[in-house]
Amino acid sequence: MNSRQTPTPSAPRSDTRSWLRDHSELGVSVMLFALGVLVLTDALTMDVDIAQRGPVGPTTVPIVVGIGLLVIAALLAFDVMRGGQGEAEGGEDIDLSEPSDWRTVLLLGGVFLGFAVLIDPVGFPVSGTLLFWGAAYALGSRHPQRDPLIAAVLSVATYYIFNNLLGVPLPGGPLMGVL
Amino acid sequence: MDSLNSLIDGFGTALTPINLMWAVIGVLLGTAIGVLPGIGPAMAVALLLPVTYGLEPTGAFIMFAGIYYGAMFGGSTTSILLNTPGESAAVVAAIEGNPMAKSGRGSQALAAAAVGHFAGGLIGTILLVALAPTIAELAVDIGAPDYFAIMVLAFIAVTSVLGSSRIRGLASLLIGLTIGLVGLDTMTGQQRLTFGSLQLSDGIDVVIVAVGLFAIGEALWVAAHLRRNAAAPIPVGRPWLDKSDLKRTWKPWLRGPFIGFPFGAIPAGGAEIPTFLSYVTEKRLSKNKNEFGKGAIEGVAGPESAASASAAGTLVSMLTLGLPTTAVAAVMLAAFQQYGIQPGPLLFEREPDLVWGLIASLFVGMVLLLALNLPLAPVWAKLLQIPRPYLYAGILFFAGVGAYAVGGEALDLVILLIIGLIGLGMRRYGLPVLPAVIGVILGPAAEQQLRRALQMSDGSVSGLVNTPFSVTIYLIIAVLLAWPLLRKKFQSRRNVSA
Amino acid sequence: MRLRTPLALLGAALLVFVGPPLLSAGDGSDTGTQIPGLRFMVPNTPGGGYDITARTAAKNAEDAGLTHNIEVFNLPGAGGTVGLARLVGEHGNGKLAMSMGLGVVGAVHSNKSEKTLADTTPIARLTEEQDIVVVSNDSPYKTIDDLLKAWKANPSKVTVGGGSSPGGPDHLAPMLMAQAAKIKPKNVNYIPFDGGGELLAAILGNQVGFGVSGVGEYLDQIKSGKLRLLAVTGPERVPGLDAPTLREARLDTEFTNWRGIVAPPGISDREREKLTALVEELHDSKEWQESLKKNGWNDAFMVGDDFGDFLKEQNERVDTVLKELGL
Repeated sequence: MNSRQTPTPSAPRSDTRSWLRDHSELGVSVMLFALGVLVLTDALTMDVDIAQRGPVGPTTVPIVVGIGLLVIAALLAFDVMRGGQGEAEGGEDIDLSEPSDWRTVLLLGGVFLGFAVLIDPVGFPVSGTLLFWGAAYALGSRHPQRDPLIAAVLSVATYYIFNNLLGVPLPGGPLMGVL
Repeated sequence: MDSLNSLIDGFGTALTPINLMWAVIGVLLGTAIGVLPGIGPAMAVALLLPVTYGLEPTGAFIMFAGIYYGAMFGGSTTSILLNTPGESAAVVAAIEGNPMAKSGRGSQALAAAAVGHFAGGLIGTILLVALAPTIAELAVDIGAPDYFAIMVLAFIAVTSVLGSSRIRGLASLLIGLTIGLVGLDTMTGQQRLTFGSLQLSDGIDVVIVAVGLFAIGEALWVAAHLRRNAAAPIPVGRPWLDKSDLKRTWKPWLRGPFIGFPFGAIPAGGAEIPTFLSYVTEKRLSKNKNEFGKGAIEGVAGPESAASASAAGTLVSMLTLGLPTTAVAAVMLAAFQQYGIQPGPLLFEREPDLVWGLIASLFVGMVLLLALNLPLAPVWAKLLQIPRPYLYAGILFFAGVGAYAVGGEALDLVILLIIGLIGLGMRRYGLPVLPAVIGVILGPAAEQQLRRALQMSDGSVSGLVNTPFSVTIYLIIAVLLAWPLLRKKFQSRRNVSA
Repeated sequence: MRLRTPLALLGAALLVFVGPPLLSAGDGSDTGTQIPGLRFMVPNTPGGGYDITARTAAKNAEDAGLTHNIEVFNLPGAGGTVGLARLVGEHGNGKLAMSMGLGVVGAVHSNKSEKTLADTTPIARLTEEQDIVVVSNDSPYKTIDDLLKAWKANPSKVTVGGGSSPGGPDHLAPMLMAQAAKIKPKNVNYIPFDGGGELLAAILGNQVGFGVSGVGEYLDQIKSGKLRLLAVTGPERVPGLDAPTLREARLDTEFTNWRGIVAPPGISDREREKLTALVEELHDSKEWQESLKKNGWNDAFMVGDDFGDFLKEQNERVDTVLKELGL
């Protein structure tokens, strides 16, 4: 998936580029291959010192899965080279006629990563607010007054329900115990 | 008809106004908490345990029954509406339920789920009353070789959900199997794909995988192709199941329990595998195969009914053997012990009032659940009318809360995001998501049973086929595999004779 | 109009920063045994052994008026070592405690966890429980001697089922038995099950040669005759159960599982004393004594340094056994 191409509206500069774009699915094949190598390496470097009973030990299934991944990576590459193509998934909110908008995806992924990083230092209410607001912004909501307030109320209400009513602890933030 | 009389007495206990009130409170609380992300039935029951401390045992268990069924239904609600299953039994409901909700048939999906829960629970509980002792005796004879045979059958069933491209379907399945490998090997305690991280040593929870692939993956994919112009709100549609819906759902509702109940009763059964098997069965039998994956109501009705019946099956082993087969049952067992009551072979003799009151209140709880939730279905479905940015921001928000609430680990959020990105890539390149989730469920279970069976026979492969049950299953598999060939022969012969 | 946006932002900021502390205010005063905001971590899933101990203890302490609103939460993972790592990470937090037991000691070894129990502040041992050796009522083994004879003759064919993963209590007990019976640890065919429920089915269905589990777990099945109790693993017989100890069966070993409480490292002496006072009061309360009886737990109360020494000794013992097993 790393080999995903950033779509540019301008015409491709060279034939290699356009070939790569048409065959970007080979990236999936590469990923599967890499995954297979990873699984096999992990299995083969495992030190098995416990008496194993029968033909199946802790490494057997990983080896089978790893080989399966390598085989399927090869088959997929073969299929793509012959012109096979995975059908991108459609849906109610999805407009496949438009080129992919990777900027929004990146923004959304970044917002979620920010949530994961911030939740422990600044607490759930703040990071949750940023998550909701940021995600809504990334998806095209532009209400500078309404959005942050909705996000804050949702976040604090969730915090209250989980932390206070249910006793599922969520970090409260830097001012906990200060006020 | 001893048990029938006892059951009637049980209804006498369950239908007193005060106990009826506990049942209503239980159903409401259970549903409300089950709807919350990251809180499955086991967690809901554990969290609400203190609420019941003040009650006398019968009232407490009647309330428990309500909480249990309520929480299961609540889990399906978020699964259907927001694509974020809160527990493993609700994963399958998202596959057809969410597309239905997206296309304005959310209230039908919820109604199909509600009636499914009712039917499954009802049939399951009737089976519980009629067969409890017999089934409990049989359940303990089901061992590792038998489970493994069932897993092989389930893997063969996976082929029918691989989608249009076999290669891409298998790739998805292998990704799932790989995720399932992460964690300590259950038999020997070896680290596998954990990269030295303790947090990974218990593996990646199937709920995290499902929420990541379904909800996060979907949100990111929508972000990449958001329909900017025509953001018409999702129509609510007609609130009820109409005749054609009923025609399609009544059989799945009735079939589900017979898949779910036995799995609930056997020690390593649980609800994931029967819901999946029910889904596959409905897909095979449906006249609307092409609708599967795009919102086929049978795919909601059957699995939900199976899940509910498996919950009833769980109670069989717990009440008669003191054998908790699921996390919820383990919590309930602990609750019984709080009151100084030991479920097990002597329970029916020692505490008949309580047991039959509990069983009767299961019936009461199911009726209440249906009565409360059927009218609420259109109300819930309206949730989807909020503007798209808020809807998907909310899905991300609740997926995040759910993943964090389970263990309080920020690492789980990172894992969730990574799985979400995998889900995005899978959508982009036409890899179906379902086989991956099935791989995570089936892979570890199949491996464990296979190795346990081999260990029991001290390594001899004959240990896999040394029970009549497993041999039967393998024969069924052989017939299933040979069926296309047999049918062709049969047909050609008929053609000749005709 | 222009002002609205900053105002909305300010409002939102105020809400998220100030709201949560205000919501959690009023936890009560910090006097006597009261520890406002005390949280009790359970390092395994709801319904598990540590969970039941923690929730019972918290409820009893609240009922006895020792402290109110103890928050019990679960942080399962890797046999308790994920919870342990978190606890050790909360250096100096005097409002956190963790329910734990022998299983965590074993898990530290088998998971090669960096954080060990030596990094924690030991508070108290609460309960202990013997393990039992059981078979189904139609098993060919009528007595512990029958079983030992068959086991010694063919260790790998006589499978042992336990409810814990390798390194856990149900694994350690049969391994100690094997050691005493001069069976090579590598020859023991131990099959782990997901908790007592699955194990019970396997024993009843004669899928394993014999099972090892906590005594409280299967009392009813033993009383109703579905399971045959062959031996108890502790130093003395269990009152009300007609079974010899291992020593009576000429196996020179004993094994007792236990559960207790530890706190994070680096807490102040005052905080440590307060936690200790709380568990002492809890131990003396009639609510706790009642719970012990109900759950069939043996009172094994031990606080402070005694418990610390006990932890060390257990740690060494587990270490030795697991090393011999090559785990």
